Amino acid sequence: MGCLTIILVTALLGLYMAWNIGANDVANSMGCAVGSKSISIKWAVIAAGICEFAGSVLVGAHVTDTVRKGIVDPTMIASLPGLGPGEAPALLLIGMAASLLAAAVWLNVATWMGMPVSTSHSIVGAVAGYGIIAAGWNAVHWGRMGQIVASWFLSPLAGGVLGFLLFMMISRLILRRRRPVPAAVSITPFVVFFMMVVVTLAIVYKGLKHLTGERAEWITGNGAFLVAAVVGLLSALVARLLIRRALRGKENLPLPQQLELVERVFAPLVVVTSCAVAFSHGANDVANAVGPLAAIVDIASTCTVKMRVYVPVWVLVLGGCGIVAGLATFGYRVMRTVGTKITQMTPSRGVAAAIAATITVLVCTRMKLPVSTTHTLVGAVLGIGLARGLAAVNRQVTRNIFGSWFITVPAAAILAMVFFLLGKVLLLEYVRQTLCQALPGAA
Amino acid sequence: MSLIKELFGQSPFGPLVEHTKKVHECVKLVEPLSQALMKGDDEEIHRLQDRVSKLEYEADVIKHEIREQLPRRYFLPVGRDELENFLRCQDKIADSVQDFAVVLFIRKTRVHPELKDLFLEFVEQVLKVSNTLNEAAVELQNLAETAFGGAEAASVLDQISGLGEQEWNADRMQRRLSRKIYSLEHELDPVTILFYDKMLHTLSRVANEAENTGDLLRAMILKG
Repeated sequence: MGCLTIILVTALLGLYMAWNIGANDVANSMGCAVGSKSISIKWAVIAAGICEFAGSVLVGAHVTDTVRKGIVDPTMIASLPGLGPGEAPALLLIGMAASLLAAAVWLNVATWMGMPVSTSHSIVGAVAGYGIIAAGWNAVHWGRMGQIVASWFLSPLAGGVLGFLLFMMISRLILRRRRPVPAAVSITPFVVFFMMVVVTLAIVYKGLKHLTGERAEWITGNGAFLVAAVVGLLSALVARLLIRRALRGKENLPLPQQLELVERVFAPLVVVTSCAVAFSHGANDVANAVGPLAAIVDIASTCTVKMRVYVPVWVLVLGGCGIVAGLATFGYRVMRTVGTKITQMTPSRGVAAAIAATITVLVCTRMKLPVSTTHTLVGAVLGIGLARGLAAVNRQVTRNIFGSWFITVPAAAILAMVFFLLGKVLLLEYVRQTLCQALPGAA
Repeated sequence: MSLIKELFGQSPFGPLVEHTKKVHECVKLVEPLSQALMKGDDEEIHRLQDRVSKLEYEADVIKHEIREQLPRRYFLPVGRDELENFLRCQDKIADSVQDFAVVLFIRKTRVHPELKDLFLEFVEQVLKVSNTLNEAAVELQNLAETAFGGAEAASVLDQISGLGEQEWNADRMQRRLSRKIYSLEHELDPVTILFYDKMLHTLSRVANEAENTGDLLRAMILKG
């Protein structure tokens, strides 16, 4: 009974974090499609909901593991000297709950102060903070932590470089031609091929692997590239047929009309790639909400501290539901403001930005690094700006991003420390007893 | 608070094209103004002067709007200085047209019959220069769409490259007209000569500023 209460309380906290992600961040991932008017707000919300949910349930476990055990080594806490029976799991549980609470509180404080924050940075800072207080400086995997922080620098940078290159290619090969329409007919299928390979790899290679386990090795192993290539090829052929039909006889229109037609060809592509961004966003960011929850559920049900934990699917589903709920309640409104503010984002720019962000976030997800999808997207947009693709980009935003790192990580860490100490003083005995009662053998 | 939302400013290129069009509307009135001057139709001059003044004011409003929406923190695909100078220079074209209209409006000056042909020829050349600029400058929106490169940029640069020679021709015609005016100095009263001089001066400024605006447009395209 007591265990259930603990799980329920932390699940509510996790749900709240997931709700926050859905309410604030998801609008960014669909921003390219909404801003370029390639999709209506209503459909953007529905598509984002489906893709975020799929991403978090199918791929979310990777980064969840990092948040759960990658930053603070659970065995370090278990091997602390002078712990009574059942105290180690109790400490770990309180620590994870404190991290979750700290991240959620900081998110609210920051939003109230009008600061842009990333849930990824909050949770990483919070977990590291509790680890330092609970088991000393050495309990934190500083090597891993270094990798994570490096990925925060590198992901916007990589997004920027990819965005720059992709947009340069699109503009060199299509937009800057004397007659963009025939150029679009011959080049766009290649863009579609590349895009679909990336998207398919994202879903098959990472997603199905988690779902099917060993059963479908041929499709999730090296076969993934083959599958992706086939899907890419088929989509490219279909795209070629459709584009040719749509653009037939339009080769000699005046340039502005040709450009508009070409942008219209890109519109469906930007929808597909934005869905991929939403998918990878769900995959990466759901961990921020359910990583600590996964740890708590495991401790509460086994009363032991382990390194290998199977992340229960229901935990990921809960995270996914939270994101969808946030999207349905507040995300709609945020999506609309984003859509009206970024009208400069034409479909050709949107495709470049979304593909760049998808690739970057997926690589980071695969390396189990919790990065900010929004920051990666910001990097990609700045890259397109450097390629002279956008009319006015606010460079101050980069300063905000740096600011958000430098403030969020310590702030969330300090909050987690405070909550952890409070929890230790007030709840340690209760939690220990509850755990031991539930599983007398472990005590 | 959404970073993505804050990332984007308003595009200045749409309003810049608006400004170009407004200035050109102003310039187009030079022709009817000159015709009215030839005919000595003072009422028509009065009416056109009002119209020019209104258009010039509207161009000014657009200019200020563009400046206000472009704080320093925005990163642009063209040099900021070039863009601001382009806007200022293009605005001066409308100013010069207004000055010309005012010169016609404040004094009922009549054009000597022997000057009429040369005068109209000069006006035509001035309009040619500003037309060339107008055709190039209205492409700014398309230039932004094509990221200031490729075929579109090349064709605009090509258009601009004609400006120098056209302006030089306008200068030559102005000199010819001036010589003609002073050859008639014994038949004309000094104040009329003064006003002829003012007309020539303001008209040549229209061509001059158009050429300068074209130079800045080129600088915008070439420099990222």
